[in-house]
Amino acid sequence: MSMNPEQEDFQQLRRLLALKRHEQPPPGYFNGFSSQVILRIRAGERPERDSLGERLLWQVPWLQQFWASLSAKPALAGSFGVLVCGLLITGAIYSERPEPEQASIFSPSSNLARQDRPGLMTQLSSMRESGVELSSTAGLPTIPRENSLFEEIRRTPQWNLPPEMQPVVERISLGQ
Amino acid sequence: MIMAEPASRKAFQKPDESAPPPTPAPVPVPVEEMVLVRQARQGDLEAYDELVRRYQERIYATVYHMTSNHEDANDLAQEAFIKAFRALNSFKGGSSFYTWVYRIAVNKTINFLKQRRNKSQLSLDDLDFNAEHDPDLVALISDKTPRRDASLAELQEKLNEAMQRLSEPHRMVVTLHDVQGLSHEEIADIMECNIGTVRSRLFYARQQLQGYLSDYLK
Repeated sequence: MSMNPEQEDFQQLRRLLALKRHEQPPPGYFNGFSSQVILRIRAGERPERDSLGERLLWQVPWLQQFWASLSAKPALAGSFGVLVCGLLITGAIYSERPEPEQASIFSPSSNLARQDRPGLMTQLSSMRESGVELSSTAGLPTIPRENSLFEEIRRTPQWNLPPEMQPVVERISLGQ
Repeated sequence: MIMAEPASRKAFQKPDESAPPPTPAPVPVPVEEMVLVRQARQGDLEAYDELVRRYQERIYATVYHMTSNHEDANDLAQEAFIKAFRALNSFKGGSSFYTWVYRIAVNKTINFLKQRRNKSQLSLDDLDFNAEHDPDLVALISDKTPRRDASLAELQEKLNEAMQRLSEPHRMVVTLHDVQGLSHEEIADIMECNIGTVRSRLFYARQQLQGYLSDYLK
């Protein structure tokens, strides 16, 4: 009965690999092995080579169980991943949306601002002609308080404030 | 006058029949593995000590054959058992405790070897006195091998160097199958892959080793 040449070649290799079975640690090595393991467990030692994630799992048992369940059920892990991504995307979209309160009359797009703009520009040009120095702040000229936008708005007929709000506007125009 | 009995007579005296017969030394009955696991899970370290004793040699051997370094094998084997103790609550009993610990040790060893940037020096265990009488080795070191004058120590060194040249998964299947005698099914269970993968890795690893060790093989 002739052997497959490949098997016969591997037979030689396997004979050589049998040499490894004869490699033994020093005599008495295993006498204290388990004791060392138990000592380290009692000392509360964590395996040194664990990564940060593995260390976190040791400290939080429920997280370890959760991770184990995810590892055992790929479908659950996938669903969890989709949920997390969805939450992140939703959060990112929501954070980009401007606040409704911020779309106020003071925004350039508001009707009132547009209506005020010609009046404001007229005031600025008249101030420039009269030699009033206008300091610039980030490229925009500052308006003297007595000609503030708040004052302008207060005088605007379309700004129909209830009477109880009028003092508030006046305080704003005075810079209080 | 009371004469003392001669010593020779004492030796043939019948034992005191009123004394209870001496109880034979109790033969330790191996405790079922799951009982030990249950006890260890409740914090019984003596139970876990027994589990460690049962599998320490095989786990150490696996790690040693992968690393070819006694010191690394010592550390990794201990850490595998420590990790197994910490994770006892996650052991559901789907496989044997032995397979489960084996899996932890295998993964820990492979991760360690992958993270190790520089190849460590070999720190080989000594060969036991039976090596020279192993029929496999005697057949190998015969007048038919190219290097019949190679000593066992040289063979051991060359073999370990060749093993270290294999990738971790290929080295693992050779270790588990050809060195430790595990079946393909057991290896597939430990390495969490299918049997076909085990077979193909084993074939490829043997081919590689054969090339590396051609000077010492027919």
